[in-house]
Amino acid sequence: MRMEMDIIVARGGFQVACQASFGPGVHMISGQVGSGKTTLALAMASLIPYQGRLDKEGMGDVLMSFQFPEHHITASRLDDEVRSWGLDPEQVLPGIGLDDRRGSDPLHLSRGGLKRLNLACVLARDPDLLILDEPFSSLDCVAKSQLCRAIEDRKGKITLLFSHERSVLPRVDTLSHVEYGRLIHHGTVPGSIAAWQGAPPYIRQALQSGARPENITHKDVREAICRMRD
Amino acid sequence: MIHIEGLRHHLLEIPSLTIAGPKVALIGRNGAGKTSLLELLAGIDRPKEGSITVDGEEPRTLRVGWVGEFPDHTILFSRVFDEVCSSLRFTYVPVAEAERMARETMRSLGALHLWDRATAELSGGEKALVAYAAAVVNPPRLLILDEVDSHLDERCASLISDSILHSGFQTVFCTQDMDLAAKADEVLFLDNGRVVQHGPPQEVFHALEGSCFYPNSWRMGP
Repeated sequence: MRMEMDIIVARGGFQVACQASFGPGVHMISGQVGSGKTTLALAMASLIPYQGRLDKEGMGDVLMSFQFPEHHITASRLDDEVRSWGLDPEQVLPGIGLDDRRGSDPLHLSRGGLKRLNLACVLARDPDLLILDEPFSSLDCVAKSQLCRAIEDRKGKITLLFSHERSVLPRVDTLSHVEYGRLIHHGTVPGSIAAWQGAPPYIRQALQSGARPENITHKDVREAICRMRD
Repeated sequence: MIHIEGLRHHLLEIPSLTIAGPKVALIGRNGAGKTSLLELLAGIDRPKEGSITVDGEEPRTLRVGWVGEFPDHTILFSRVFDEVCSSLRFTYVPVAEAERMARETMRSLGALHLWDRATAELSGGEKALVAYAAAVVNPPRLLILDEVDSHLDERCASLISDSILHSGFQTVFCTQDMDLAAKADEVLFLDNGRVVQHGPPQEVFHALEGSCFYPNSWRMGP
């Protein structure tokens, strides 16, 4: 299973290019606000037109979680919303603490609640290719950690993580950064961490002090700092 | 000075609370009641029971700047400069003056390059920046921000957080960025509708040490 692409996406006078190849694993794609992350994510999900070649070899289902979870809502009750994903509400809602809201209108949830609902549904579907656009925004730190574990547990599947999250990140396999209208693929972790342009402050500080973390999570960075002190 | 007395409203239950700090961070899990409390403080909603006053006045009688959880839905105008100028135009500030103030606000937020853009073409984070600019361009008496930083990258988030922390407005903001909350004058930790911690950041985060609410910048050490 592999995703190969050499594409150019134009959207409203703005253009972003991407030449990359993603195999099974978690691929972190960072980039500043307005850099084109969402545009690229939508093209990779084949939801907007692009020029060039985009092969999703050996891939069955593809799912994308939008940045704004309310854009996914199609039902007027939480349990019907879960059913619309082909899932059983009994299986999904208790795990995200929304069991007592099953009869509520999804649009009465907070954005954090909507985000948890959407992420629980896309993860439960376990698609071959999962594209997550800013999945951490609006989530509290407990929900962020749970999401990290769920992303790490997607063994043998492809996960593209478009995010500028700065505090809670999962262990990832490759790093990329979108800037000046193109995706720069830094390559596999840990070799690519030093070159990663989207590195959050805790990683930059650790690198400056000479630490060489194995991966990008806080735990990895703390361990790298401890190793230096030994 | 914000006073809350005998408040019962949906999930919220706050018997008595006085908030003095000019910059107040509201933290807690999703569904803890943060947005409900912010809506009461902004005067958008009225308490079912009890009272809230800001310097002795009801919030709904004050000039409140508000950026909600869904800034992308609250943008009204098709051009960025119209959106940022809108609150001034409605108060009959002369067009030239409104534009000068709006440009100055956008410049201070590092967002002047968005001036001529169509709002529909903005990214999620850019919309949050524009909504924030529109809320502060006409200086509010009280500024209420509901996770305005959650769609922003590091650079934009630091521009907005500088603006939040250094502006002259009394500000209550909720955030999932504990490093930002740690820079406020006061922190309120809300759990299941109740204020379980309230005080200076040092105190509140000391009590939260070991939980994921502890600020990362304190966790990493020297």
